[in-house]
Amino acid sequence: MPQSAEKILDHGPLFREPEYQEMFARKKACDGAASFDATALQGEYTKGWEYREKNFAREALVINPAKACQPLGAVFAAAGFEKTMSFVHGSQGCAAYFRSHLSRHFKEPCTAVSSSMTEDAAVFGGLNNMIDGLANCYSLYQPKMIAVSTTCMAEVIGDDLHGFIGNAKAKGSVPEDFDVPFAHTPSFVGSHIDGYDNSIRGILEHFWKDSPTVAGSSETINIVPGFDGFCVGNNRELARILGLMGVSYTFIGDAADQFDTPSDGEYRMYDGGTTIDELKAAKGAKATVALQHWNSRKTLDYAASVGQETASFHYPLGIRATDELLMKVSALSGKAIPEALRLERGRLVDAMADSQAYLHGKRYAIFGDPDFVQAMARFILETGGEPVHCLSTNGGKEWAEDMQKLFDGSPFGKDCKAHEHKDLWHLRSLLFTEPVDFVVGNSHGKYLERDTKTPLIRLTFPIFDRHHHHRFPVIGYQGGLRVLTTLLDKMFDKLDAETNISGETDISFDLTR
Amino acid sequence: MSLKARIATVFDEPACPTNREKSETVRKKGCSKPLTPGAAAGGCAFDGAKIVLQPVTDVAHLIHGPLACEGNSWDNRHAASSGSDLWRRSFTTDLSELDIVMGNGEKKLFKAIRTIVERHDPPAVFVYSTCVTALIGDDITAVCKRAGERFGRPVIPVEAPGFVGSKNLGNRLAGQTLLDHIIGTVEPDDVTPYDVNILGEYNLVGEFWFVKPLLEELGIRLRAVIPGDARYRDIATAHRAKANMMVCSSALINLARGMQERWGIPYFEGSFYGISDTSAAIRGICGLLVETGAPAELLDRAEALIAREEAIAWQRIAPLKPRLAGKRVLLNTGGVKSWSVVNALQEAGMEVIRTSIKKSTEEDKARALAALKDEKHLFDRLAPREIYRMLADGEADIMLSGGRTQFIALKAKTPWLDVNQERHHPYAGYEGIVELLKRIDLAVNSPVFPALRAPTPWDEEGRLLEGADRPAEVTPTFRKFANGVLEDADDC
Repeated sequence: MPQSAEKILDHGPLFREPEYQEMFARKKACDGAASFDATALQGEYTKGWEYREKNFAREALVINPAKACQPLGAVFAAAGFEKTMSFVHGSQGCAAYFRSHLSRHFKEPCTAVSSSMTEDAAVFGGLNNMIDGLANCYSLYQPKMIAVSTTCMAEVIGDDLHGFIGNAKAKGSVPEDFDVPFAHTPSFVGSHIDGYDNSIRGILEHFWKDSPTVAGSSETINIVPGFDGFCVGNNRELARILGLMGVSYTFIGDAADQFDTPSDGEYRMYDGGTTIDELKAAKGAKATVALQHWNSRKTLDYAASVGQETASFHYPLGIRATDELLMKVSALSGKAIPEALRLERGRLVDAMADSQAYLHGKRYAIFGDPDFVQAMARFILETGGEPVHCLSTNGGKEWAEDMQKLFDGSPFGKDCKAHEHKDLWHLRSLLFTEPVDFVVGNSHGKYLERDTKTPLIRLTFPIFDRHHHHRFPVIGYQGGLRVLTTLLDKMFDKLDAETNISGETDISFDLTR
Repeated sequence: MSLKARIATVFDEPACPTNREKSETVRKKGCSKPLTPGAAAGGCAFDGAKIVLQPVTDVAHLIHGPLACEGNSWDNRHAASSGSDLWRRSFTTDLSELDIVMGNGEKKLFKAIRTIVERHDPPAVFVYSTCVTALIGDDITAVCKRAGERFGRPVIPVEAPGFVGSKNLGNRLAGQTLLDHIIGTVEPDDVTPYDVNILGEYNLVGEFWFVKPLLEELGIRLRAVIPGDARYRDIATAHRAKANMMVCSSALINLARGMQERWGIPYFEGSFYGISDTSAAIRGICGLLVETGAPAELLDRAEALIAREEAIAWQRIAPLKPRLAGKRVLLNTGGVKSWSVVNALQEAGMEVIRTSIKKSTEEDKARALAALKDEKHLFDRLAPREIYRMLADGEADIMLSGGRTQFIALKAKTPWLDVNQERHHPYAGYEGIVELLKRIDLAVNSPVFPALRAPTPWDEEGRLLEGADRPAEVTPTFRKFANGVLEDADDC
């Protein structure tokens, strides 16, 4: 046997031992699997232009989508409020997926409950599940607020959340004045960014609908961060920036502390987040600013409808995008932009100039949520790179038009194209037929990296296979510096890897780069 | 010979026109410019010697001194080797306080040589002295002699401790070491009428390999390239070459002249930077070979090769020319590059507004003048402050220089390209000029620089500027140059 007590092999090396290889070969013969050569031939075919055209003609099938569903966004949104339990009305499995998804990315526990609907609920409606579920959730987890969202199952049978929650309160599941905001978040419509939007809008409506507070009665600015896997670093960075400017602000949902609890012996089911009082007061703000436009369209409509000024950005990353954010905040608040931020800006520009020889002319593919792709493409254009393939499964036609404007505004954008509603299998064809130097995206891109050998730079949610990236900001000038460093690290690692075989390729294995 | 006497010999350089014009007394003082205490400056003689010798690939380079002389200079240049990587190993005797007080240096050195020989079995060991070991009087020549006898291979003392003078002096002391101890110590059995040496070629980033195949195609045998990608044996047999080409004359002129005196090898100065210079270099090599007895048909073959390669190079440069034409270049390098790069840039339609001629020989200067027509384009040495002013005032579109002045350009918001030893791209030969122009294109057309120059869209008080929402075009706003800050950024 290959295993011995002196040297226990891990599964990786163990299964490469001849005994296992033989077993795999026998199994393959037994299965009647195609020969290695035939598989390789077919694999080769999928790399060409002919296959690419067939791939892009695909209508009914999505392969490796780069998006998740609405309730994931709702669960994330709920995590941004003080002592708020996320309650997913529908089947239990969905809620478990959302929990593990967020947990694997943030490396933190994530609690969410469901109404555990089963076959009888599907037939008779989910009212009883709502009544029991809210009662159990309220007594088990002592939340200050329960934010309700839905899965497909509840949406298909047409459960009415407003009525159900009213009924549950009437039955005494939770006190009459207990806050149970809700949003319908059908998975078969849109993606997690829409679920986020719907959920935040639902929460605002819940608190603002009957409130006498008049918009503009305070100097505060509301900040809607959007669905952001880097919220831990980003929200804290934004708070620092706004603090430097002396701006009065309220985050409409801030999950930074919830997804970054310290290990000090205390288990926190809830930590941080926007309080209910802040939420109520937020109606009086003079403006609501969304950091991610495509994540916040309905929320902004609602804020505008109560009389607030609104503004939105595309994930303010890099120089110009951060400039625009600061200038807008400055214009809205009347506060000056302090010298400290001007220096930070100068440092980022300086760093970009220091490294420009390595950045200029690099070709990238970017995939992810529409605002992220837009932000990343813009920053890459600022560095002299070309974001050749920009792909977003949940980006729409409007987004693609916006992207085209971005490309048209830069000499480095002329060979770039935005691909809306496309998946990672499309991207695979793009990478084989029109290769790039780097792919920027999330962990799901690792299969593309394996197949196409294009190095993957992980800069957006979800990042399952690398740890702690989300703890550092990517927005603002400081965030720009971190993104820049991440891009450069990958470039230099690649350069070193290409020159590190002793006596063979190490001619340019240089100490100084 | 004492170190003092050796230095005097190095300075008495009849091949150097400056030296020839000096009176006997002035000549004795030597030509190294007095160092200026308190002013930021470049490297020392040790550094200079190590730069020249370190690219010899199969030799163990052992630095006799405290750790940091080697630690600070370890693997800091990107010469390339086609074989052994022993030269990149960092060997030092790492003298500590006790060794210095007790005088253990020589013993430790001998042991270090023994260890190297036992573990790496190199064809030779080069032993470099440093300030400390020279001050305490370690006799490395004697140790090397003894070790050489004991271990049956050349152990070469390189006596250029840092304090004796500048980096350039170190270069020459290294050249002298090659002459005194190595060249001519092995008789080759394979001499042909086509044997040449290239002197002062460092094979940075492997750039000489852009040239080598062309020479080999003509049947020219490279007896030794000193020091780039050289083997010990190549150098030891270099005296049987028929001709020498001198690339970096300020560093190794004494070597070329010495080889001419001792073995009658004629030499000429040339450069592999730029199309016409590369062609001129190939013609020069073939010309000297024919003079020394090679068949005259070599010249015809050379012309055919030059015609072919030039055509390819021009074809490859053509698409870059529109992007580069009219760009103004400040060339702040020195030595051979002061003129050879000028020609290369002019070939691509760029304008060289000024070139530095520091560390350039009189002949270098004459060539630079020929290329630029007017003295006002030449400067001996530009103060960092003046460079900053020129760039900040927008007098140049790009500066080409070494790493030490890069930050002057970057802080003046001007593109910059490394053309000195720390660069990562090969620029020699026909292939190299295309690479150089590509790199200039990347730098000069990078959008990072417009971003640098665009003003912050709010004023000093942090108030938003009227209509500054999206400055469409670049307005240069240069900040004042703080006094003295950049003096430390002086080039070496």
